[in-house]
Amino acid sequence: MRAGGLVPRSVTGRATAAGVIVSLLLVVAIVLGSRFLEHFDSALLPYAVATVFLAFGVAYRYTVWVSAPGAKRLFKKGWGSLFSVDNFRRAPTALPKMIATYLGFQKFLGARSHARWAAHQLIFWGCILASLITFPLTWGWFTFTSGTGSGPGYEMRIWGFKIIGFDSLDFLGWLMFHGLDIAAVLVIPGTSYFLWRRMKDRGAVTGQRFGYDLVPLIALIVISVTGLLLTFSSIFLHGGGYEFLAILHMVAVVFTLIYIPFGKFFHIVQRPAAVGMQLFKYTGRQDDEVFSCRRCEEPIDTTPYVDNLRGTMRDLSLGFDEWAEYCPRCKRVLRGSAYLSQVKKGFK
Amino acid sequence: MMGRTIFIDPGRCIGCQACVSACRECDSHRGKSMIHLDYTDEGQSVASLPTVCMHCEDPVAPCAEVCPADAILVTADGVVQQADTTRCIGCANCVNACPFGVPKIDLQAKLQMKCNLCYDRTAYGLAPMCATVCPTGALFYGTAEELQAERPGVQVADSFVFGESEVRTGVAMVVPADRVQWPVPGGLPVVEINGKDVRR
Amino acid sequence: MTADSRTPEPHAVVPIDPSLAPPGTRAFRDAGGIPADRWHADQNGETLVPTHCCFCGVQCGMYLRVDRGGKVFGVEPRNHDINRMRLCPKGINAYQQVNHPDRLTAPLMRRSRDEEFREVSWEEALEFTVAEIKRIQQTYGNDAFGLLGGASLFSEKTYLVGKFARVALKTRHVDYNGRLCMVSAAGANKLAFNIDRAGNPFSDILLTDCLLIAGSNVGECFPVMTQYVWGARDRGASLIVIDPRETAVARTADIHVALKPGTDSAFFNSVLHVIVEEGLTDEAYLAAHATGWEEVKAKVAEYPPSRAAEICGVPAEQIVQVARTFARAPKAMAWHARGIEHHSQGVENCLTVINLCTATGNIGKPGAGYGTLTGQGNGQGGREHGQKSDLLPGGRSINNAEHRRQICEVWGIEEPELPPAGTSMMEMVWQMQRREIRGLIGICNNPFVSLPNLKVVKEGYDATEFHAQFDFFLSETAANAHVVFPVTTWAEDDGVMANAEARVVKHNKAQDPPPGVRTDTWVMCELARRLGAGDKFAFDNSRQVFDELRIASAGTVNDYYGITYERLEETGGISWPCPSTDHPGTPRLFEDGRTYHPDGKIHLQVVEWHPPMDPYDDEHPMTLTTGRTVAHFLSGNQTRRLGALVEQTPRPWAEVHPSHGFRNGEPVRVVTRRGSEVFPALVTEAIRPDTVFIPYHWPVPTAANALTIDALDPRSKIPEYKVCACRIEHAERIDVVPAPPVAPGHVAYPETQVSRTDPLPPTSPQGRGTSERS
Repeated sequence: MRAGGLVPRSVTGRATAAGVIVSLLLVVAIVLGSRFLEHFDSALLPYAVATVFLAFGVAYRYTVWVSAPGAKRLFKKGWGSLFSVDNFRRAPTALPKMIATYLGFQKFLGARSHARWAAHQLIFWGCILASLITFPLTWGWFTFTSGTGSGPGYEMRIWGFKIIGFDSLDFLGWLMFHGLDIAAVLVIPGTSYFLWRRMKDRGAVTGQRFGYDLVPLIALIVISVTGLLLTFSSIFLHGGGYEFLAILHMVAVVFTLIYIPFGKFFHIVQRPAAVGMQLFKYTGRQDDEVFSCRRCEEPIDTTPYVDNLRGTMRDLSLGFDEWAEYCPRCKRVLRGSAYLSQVKKGFK
Repeated sequence: MMGRTIFIDPGRCIGCQACVSACRECDSHRGKSMIHLDYTDEGQSVASLPTVCMHCEDPVAPCAEVCPADAILVTADGVVQQADTTRCIGCANCVNACPFGVPKIDLQAKLQMKCNLCYDRTAYGLAPMCATVCPTGALFYGTAEELQAERPGVQVADSFVFGESEVRTGVAMVVPADRVQWPVPGGLPVVEINGKDVRR
Repeated sequence: MTADSRTPEPHAVVPIDPSLAPPGTRAFRDAGGIPADRWHADQNGETLVPTHCCFCGVQCGMYLRVDRGGKVFGVEPRNHDINRMRLCPKGINAYQQVNHPDRLTAPLMRRSRDEEFREVSWEEALEFTVAEIKRIQQTYGNDAFGLLGGASLFSEKTYLVGKFARVALKTRHVDYNGRLCMVSAAGANKLAFNIDRAGNPFSDILLTDCLLIAGSNVGECFPVMTQYVWGARDRGASLIVIDPRETAVARTADIHVALKPGTDSAFFNSVLHVIVEEGLTDEAYLAAHATGWEEVKAKVAEYPPSRAAEICGVPAEQIVQVARTFARAPKAMAWHARGIEHHSQGVENCLTVINLCTATGNIGKPGAGYGTLTGQGNGQGGREHGQKSDLLPGGRSINNAEHRRQICEVWGIEEPELPPAGTSMMEMVWQMQRREIRGLIGICNNPFVSLPNLKVVKEGYDATEFHAQFDFFLSETAANAHVVFPVTTWAEDDGVMANAEARVVKHNKAQDPPPGVRTDTWVMCELARRLGAGDKFAFDNSRQVFDELRIASAGTVNDYYGITYERLEETGGISWPCPSTDHPGTPRLFEDGRTYHPDGKIHLQVVEWHPPMDPYDDEHPMTLTTGRTVAHFLSGNQTRRLGALVEQTPRPWAEVHPSHGFRNGEPVRVVTRRGSEVFPALVTEAIRPDTVFIPYHWPVPTAANALTIDALDPRSKIPEYKVCACRIEHAERIDVVPAPPVAPGHVAYPETQVSRTDPLPPTSPQGRGTSERS
């Protein structure tokens, strides 16, 4: 399978540079955020290293991605719309609404299938929760300290500043300590549904690839299950099998983090582009810039969008960008008429 | 060049839309019909044209090229797949760039969908649903040799001209052998619209 | 003045989500009957049940996909040699009827038409029905109760309809909806050949050099047959199409004769005139195999092309061209359908085609012959086994003493008990109007959409004291009844049908009927038992009925004796006559040059053209003709409920020529002497300027048959659907298509009805293009 063409060397260079800069920035942030590693938990070092690789990978892949003609133009238009003061003044709520419905509640998935929407929401919120807890922890940005040494009174600190004090025995405390277990409980049913669907649904099975479609699901399951087992082991087995589980868990997490920029999980990074696209089209519609088909005069899309697409097509040396001024139906009808008049009228 | 593929002959098409209903029965996108059936000669005759994805080979899939999300993949056997559900952002670039007017978009689902040559069937050597049921053979699945064995005196053409550009496709058209039009006209440049000369 | 005049006008509603996309790409509402998110394609085991389509006379093979729960959920193409995996849109969507929410699942009953229906037990419905039958027959005589069958029933059931009428009801009044369909061809076949079926199988079309199609929109009514037409052309055959409209096959025909409706016999007489004039007849064949040729020759001499051209409204040269093309072809073949049969001289029109084939020696040879295309799935089989008013099983005549004796023996009754011949379907309606028939059971028909002159039909049905219908969806007719029995679809029972080639094929049961639903066989047998004829109706299943049918047809022309369920399953279909279980069947008739008349000759008949029954005048100068569209079937009770088909063609239209000054989609009122209705105009050059076409699948107020004339062919009693006088006018508002009727407390499956009220005509007669769906 392939998508797009080869990546030119200049892009690789730029992407590498971006990757290096972003990963260096992350390292600096870790050092500063952990008060010069004072709060850094050396047991979590492999995780922290993996996040640095993740930062490099995401920045690299992102740069390569937005350098391709189609994405580049949309990237500019999307961010342009985002930073437009005029836009903000006219519709201050548009962006937050889009982010909430599109990125948060993913309303569009409901239109594809209610079950898939529900399963995806479980995974999404589970992963968000897990990331919010684990990333700062591994970076040494969060600390939990107890005046008495072993609780039950704890303080939670971010970057060394006290945020909240709680009792590990009350509800809030329970939540704080079991946040990851809750995340696992959310992720497991969601992922299981998708795995089941990958086995049974012929639509999903068609063209499915192990590395792209199944590995991410397996990784999520392994992380969640081993994570839960760690809790189980520490509570019920007095740490039995803990070390093995911890290593398995770590391997799965590190693998997943490094996999993110290159496989299916890249959609997490890519998704905000949809909001940019939406905002770009929204602006055009607000200005009543609707482009209509030159033949049937039915609306095609916004005028800036059509111009942008024609630009993309020219960038790609697709010599028929003028064709974008006709709606798909008229393209087909014109081609059909050309066949009827120039190739053959009917059976003969 | 051409292996087993779909051959389209609009001259045989009776516009019955069996293909449209059959497409919906295909397991890889059950309930959603991807094929287009247009009556191209409205008000004059009942002529019709079925359109499946032509699976462009050169340039490789303009739809995939203009996709800002790298969502459209092309398999090694040249089948241009419909958008990857996790990547597609529903921008409609492919819808409006496709020279044949093939992709559809579900605005609510923010998802592009298009003919994937019934990949669940063709990958196992079965004919796609539309070409299986087509009562007239306007959509034929097989090799060019198999087609010619059934229909003496036909030739196939797999390139189209759009203005100055030419597009070579994986799906081909049937043309009369004695009047080979090569490449097949794609409709561009547009000469007239609703009776008005629009050459510019 | 506001401070900042540059602030644009506030936009009331600009939706946050993208809402702009080109037409036809926006949504997937054409997803068909099942809402898109409820379609499933999970790989839980499935079984493929081989069967055939329930719709037209081609009888395409198909597999029904049955899930592990035993429910039909899809269709898969089947490589049966009739259709070679091809299917039309109706066939593909047929399976959606089986588990459709509009299905009737309990008997409906009311004691008077003023009441609402209520769901009752089978016991109550059967008891009431039997009581009413007995009351009416005791008060007014046995013949005061009538029975109307249908040709979409399996042959076993059509056999039972005839037997039930004669043995259980003991009434002479039984007929069936094939009376609206096949009887003209049947009448002509009987007169000329004394056998009622097509002469050649479909596969012979591939061998012909010249194919003439008269009055059949093959591309829409028999789409899968088109492969044979195109196959013949691929092999070099020329194609002649006789049709007032430029249909899909006419569009590319070598000769398209767009004659004026109702002038077919003048045209064919004239073609034969030219053939005689130019010495293209096969005199040797005529001398050896035909009688009446001299008379026919003398008659066609009165139809020179100049005269016919005037009658038919076509160029005289075209008549000459058709004659030469047909007669000079080494092997020529003619197929016709309702276009020439739905006339007050329907039988005679068919006879002129037979005359043409016979005169050129094109009978009974590979690639040369004559056939008629049956409209209903069992249009052929349904007329063979005794549900027609004058026929007994095996195509026997009820007026023939010997035939009566034979059947009485099979049925175990005394000859005087067997009623005489009854009247035809339309005549029965007139008798209901006159209160000669006071009670009626209808099985598998919907005359409120399918019979002409709806006003008369409604009056007739309203005049009955008791009316029961068997149906699986509540039809417009059933909605007017006293009792409605919920019965099975074709996929819930076994049975055979005979297609247009007279090939008997077997339909297999794919799933159990929904709870509360019984087979038509069970209901008829149960009614018979309660009427005191239980011993003659001890049938548990279709196989037992079929075995009796085989015996009842043994030794007749329509001999089914050699056909068994096992043989049908092994062979994929056997053409009758098949007198013994080792007989291969008879795909092609007359190969030995003999017909089924005692003298073995083809009896040519003289035909004189006469104008249609509805006269033209200044008020009604144009011709209204009716027909089908590809997405719908007959009265539409089945297809108007299937989402994909409703999406394809949501409503009827009036097809008019641009010369009348209508714009596409404008309301056009079509006025005949029976009434007027307003349709959206489909303006096209593909129709004669003097003709208007309306498809007939919809109920009043969008019913073509509210406008058509109830004039009958004197021999076949077929109504003259294809021609009546009309005028067209501009109108204000288009009449809206009503929702299909459903049982009380239900609404017609809403997902399928979304576009029903769309006021626009389809893009083309075949339906709306995929981008013209909102």
